[in-house]
Amino acid sequence: MAYVATRGGERAIEQSERLFRAEMGEITPNRVTEIRTAMPYLVDRVMGESSLYDEDLAALALAQTGGELYEAVLLLRAWRTTQPRLTVAEPVTQESLFTHRRISAAFKDIPGGQVLGPTLDYAHRILATDVLTGATFQPVPVDPASTPSPAQQPSVAAWQAENNLLTAPTTDTAIGNDIPDVTREPLLFPAKRAHTLQSLARAETGGVLALGYAAQRGYGQAHPTVNELRLAEADIRVRHPCGTVFSAGRVKVSQAEVVSKKDTELGLGFAATLGWNEVKVIAAATLDLNAHGAPKGSPTEEEFFLYHTEGVESSGFCIHFKLPHYVTFQSSLDAMRDAKAKRAVSKTDVKPQMEPAE
Amino acid sequence: MTIAQDVLPEWGHDAVLSTLARADAERLKAFAEPLIADLPQIEVLENRTGLVMLPMRDTAQGTHFHLGEILMSEARITAGTQDGYGMRRGRDLEAVMAMAVIDVAVALGVSTAECLAFLAAEADAQATADHDTLCRVEATRVNMETF
Repeated sequence: MAYVATRGGERAIEQSERLFRAEMGEITPNRVTEIRTAMPYLVDRVMGESSLYDEDLAALALAQTGGELYEAVLLLRAWRTTQPRLTVAEPVTQESLFTHRRISAAFKDIPGGQVLGPTLDYAHRILATDVLTGATFQPVPVDPASTPSPAQQPSVAAWQAENNLLTAPTTDTAIGNDIPDVTREPLLFPAKRAHTLQSLARAETGGVLALGYAAQRGYGQAHPTVNELRLAEADIRVRHPCGTVFSAGRVKVSQAEVVSKKDTELGLGFAATLGWNEVKVIAAATLDLNAHGAPKGSPTEEEFFLYHTEGVESSGFCIHFKLPHYVTFQSSLDAMRDAKAKRAVSKTDVKPQMEPAE
Repeated sequence: MTIAQDVLPEWGHDAVLSTLARADAERLKAFAEPLIADLPQIEVLENRTGLVMLPMRDTAQGTHFHLGEILMSEARITAGTQDGYGMRRGRDLEAVMAMAVIDVAVALGVSTAECLAFLAAEADAQATADHDTLCRVEATRVNMETF
């Protein structure tokens, strides 16, 4: 690919950015607060894809980009690079999650039971158009139970392992900075499992859904059943300089396991992300379940889905095509004209074939 | 160096820090401010924002992997020979400094009764909030009948 340096257009560029921002008007702290409180699932999605958890920053990025998600994620990924890494927290475990929602499509009576938590799964999808004519949509408050749900819930997979339905995994000994990190080292194939799961955690939701859906429709090797889906809060367990480990707060996380029959046992696919985004983790867990032995170039092949669901790279590559490609395109035109000219010459050069009778 | 656990054994240092890390920011700052006058000269070693990487254990193969980074604020101080530390979510540098001040105060036994009352009140507020959340969650429990 060739490039040529050009000048000009500075004023147009400046005015175009002004035109973009003028549509959104002033960005005030109130607007950021409103976005954060009114659109928590959008904020969660942006935090997960940018791999940076802070509701205020995510809401600000959405305000500043007018909700252009790729730009918002890029802003946050860029901002992240200005900050030092203070430490690596202790690994979160499934059993320690402060659980808001936990369901299984595989077993009705899972240990701990099923709590639906916040969901629109069973809601009528009716647009509240009255709001547009002046009415206020007032959500009906929850009738709380008299006793609380247990904050922590047991693991379905551990229960299955106890019942010889799958093999319990051995716990990784890597902790802290020994855990492979795609933000500090290249993603190489075959990928380390830690890289695969981290890449899926920060992947673009639409991309993961498209490829996961392809696998679910039959372009994969295994049909998933949701073994366990959780929306929860995880403690950020860090170490005081004197050695005391404590929780420095909580963040929202989503986690999904999907299962499929694999020989005499169940095969398990796993995915998790920052924020509450269950479509993403179910689709990502489906890709994880299908990755082993996937044909080269198929949507469930690890290299294929990891490269093509990295939102900043894929959107960046896509939009780069709208930037001037004058030299490369001129080169294509030249080649096309040259071919046309050669074809015309060869046509005129060919002497008409004489019929034997002539 | 002493730690809060030496002064408040019934609490434990981890419980003190965890409670302060989730405490209401404005109440935390208001409580810490007057404690400063009763502490030895404070030196601020660190007061900054930064990122904490959060790993998770995968339940399929047991692998530890990174979920992503969290914006945190951190403060390290010394008061005489005593270290104080704070780390909280977000970018409120004053709140995290207040946490470090209270960590030092508790370790040095400064205003212990007041610190204990503050910690108890904050822990109670947090427990109430969690209880209310979990009661709302429990309302969504499915009791399935099989026909």
